[in-house]
Amino acid sequence: MRNIIEINHLVKRFGNFTAVSDISFNIEAGQIYGILGPNGAGKTTTISLVLGIERPTAGKILVDGMDNMHNKAKVKQMIGFMTQETIVDSDLTAYENLEIAARLYHLEPQETRRAISTALEEAELTEFKDKPAGTFSGGMKRRLYLVKSMIHAPKVLILDEPTTGLDVHNRVQMWEHIRELNSRGVTIILTTQYLEEAEELCNKISVIDHGKIIATGTPSELKRLVSKGQILEIITTRDGAAKIAKLLQSAFRLQATVKEDKIEAYMESNPLTIFSDVLNRLMKEKLPLISISMHLPTMDDVFIKLTGSSLRDSVGENKSDRSNVMFRR
Amino acid sequence: MTLIEDTLTLYKREMLIFKSHLRTNIIRSAMFPIIFIFFFGSIGSSSINVNVAVVNYANNPQSLSFINSLTSSRTMSITSLTTQTDALNQLSEGKITAVIVILPSFPKMSAGNPAVDVYYSTSNFEAVQAVLPAIQQAAGSFDSNILANQRSYGNTSLRPLYGTTSSYVVFLVGGILSMTVAFGMTFGTGMSLITDRQLGNLKSFLISPISKDSIVLSKILAGATEALLYIAITLIVGSLDGVGIAMGLAGLAWIVIIGIMVAIGFAGISTILASRIGKVEVYTIVAQTIVMPLWFLSGAFFPTTSFPSFMQPIIMVDPLTYATQGIRNVMMLGYYPLAQIALDLGVMTAFMAFGIIGSILLFKSYTD
Repeated sequence: MRNIIEINHLVKRFGNFTAVSDISFNIEAGQIYGILGPNGAGKTTTISLVLGIERPTAGKILVDGMDNMHNKAKVKQMIGFMTQETIVDSDLTAYENLEIAARLYHLEPQETRRAISTALEEAELTEFKDKPAGTFSGGMKRRLYLVKSMIHAPKVLILDEPTTGLDVHNRVQMWEHIRELNSRGVTIILTTQYLEEAEELCNKISVIDHGKIIATGTPSELKRLVSKGQILEIITTRDGAAKIAKLLQSAFRLQATVKEDKIEAYMESNPLTIFSDVLNRLMKEKLPLISISMHLPTMDDVFIKLTGSSLRDSVGENKSDRSNVMFRR
Repeated sequence: MTLIEDTLTLYKREMLIFKSHLRTNIIRSAMFPIIFIFFFGSIGSSSINVNVAVVNYANNPQSLSFINSLTSSRTMSITSLTTQTDALNQLSEGKITAVIVILPSFPKMSAGNPAVDVYYSTSNFEAVQAVLPAIQQAAGSFDSNILANQRSYGNTSLRPLYGTTSSYVVFLVGGILSMTVAFGMTFGTGMSLITDRQLGNLKSFLISPISKDSIVLSKILAGATEALLYIAITLIVGSLDGVGIAMGLAGLAWIVIIGIMVAIGFAGISTILASRIGKVEVYTIVAQTIVMPLWFLSGAFFPTTSFPSFMQPIIMVDPLTYATQGIRNVMMLGYYPLAQIALDLGVMTAFMAFGIIGSILLFKSYTD
């Protein structure tokens, strides 16, 4: 596949602070590419650089072969962007929101009308098109925002934490939307706080911390990078749990953690051999067994191992936002 | 070409937002004129306080009876002085509003050579207008040939207008008008840029392939349009209190032109501020600190001549001074001399240019 985005030795400094420090990676057309990292790692800066609203201190970004600082208008035309806040004009109707967006992307009048009616249909908002967006529910606004971001049919869609703050139902719906867009050939770049989301959606993930890429790969590649072992999980009865844990400790030298009726243990080497041995032994001893399984470490484990932190919340400059917005004309 | 197109697109958005808040906007922009015009406009509504000095060189029964009839007209209070020089000195010091000189030949005089001279200060024309008809009438009752020979005399009067004329409210409306527009811009245009940034709308404009300048230009253009509403509201409120425009329809046109120029200038200034300030609280304080003194010094409440001399340089460079002055010319005097037009509009044009160019440059540097 050809690369739709090539990032070469990208550096961004704000005064003395280096937000992005010599990042290089390529994104193939048609991928869903995840950018993971703790808060303040440089994800948002990297995305702002790709969007062309920040100028890099050094390095360059090629979008479809074009330098995004030299061919600003053309590159911007190819990229759609959606952030975790829902950016729609609540005073404008759904139709007007889409119309302004279409005109900002210089769509021809005929094209505009077609794009708007398709967008309204996709967002299931056709019957509400003349209602102000401020009267919509959160989910409706979110759908309006998504189709608004896609009104100019971009080749690349950048999603900055698209599901933060959504309930489970809406999150799953958003995932479906993202997969659907991807199946139509749109390359997706995604930053997320949710590791299972990255695992669920992304073909490839880069983990960023302190402005540097510390690992890149498919979700399972990343997991194997962290350890060659696997995690053994046994579900039993409450009484059995203590006995099994003791057995694992004495016979297999596995450090087991017990949570009520669930036992977890980390198998560092030869997990498959250990697994079958454990299974045989448990059957032989006739210990109560409801289920037994093994799996790769979770993305959480990967994340903690790579960045030395769970998704931490950094304390930075206090930027209060909506509480300040008292006067909207 | 795309600059114009993009500007119009964003202008349309601004107008749609403005429209959806139309009622709030009308109420908010009407509060200011209503309070000021109805409440403060009633200050100095007495009309008897115009001080006029009389120098009687004729000293005959007819001249004394002329003075009597002036006194009885009750539009002015009369002081007698012995010499013309003394009277004119007092006039230039601003102690009196006009000087009536009764020449020795009174009342026998021809039409080409009147027997009564009236001197007045040009800066206090409004007060003089109130008394001139009374003088004319008093003189006319003696001989139709005795016409007052009116001469303007200097413009050094320091006498504040308020308290001397019945139409302080007209004087006030001019000041309130430019202020309503200036305030509308600082709390409309500038604030909308800050909220656009906070709500993320600005970012969605910046990632689209539009020209950055169009963002600023659309805000300014929207400000100029909104100013029309503010002007209309102020004039309507004024007319409810009996304030008319002396110059008529042409005067209305001038008011609209001046009002729009104020709007563009202040929309620019507020965009400059909003480009640098991210917080509404800080913006409000800074904007008020700038706009309030400019308003006060523009002579919105009383003539600029009554400010101490150290403030005069600030008054000279305050664009609102010229706007207020121009609006007052057409509302109170009914004429707008060419030299005055050139001065007022010249200053306002420079102000607009500063606002537009400054806001575009600063906005660019902020977002780059």
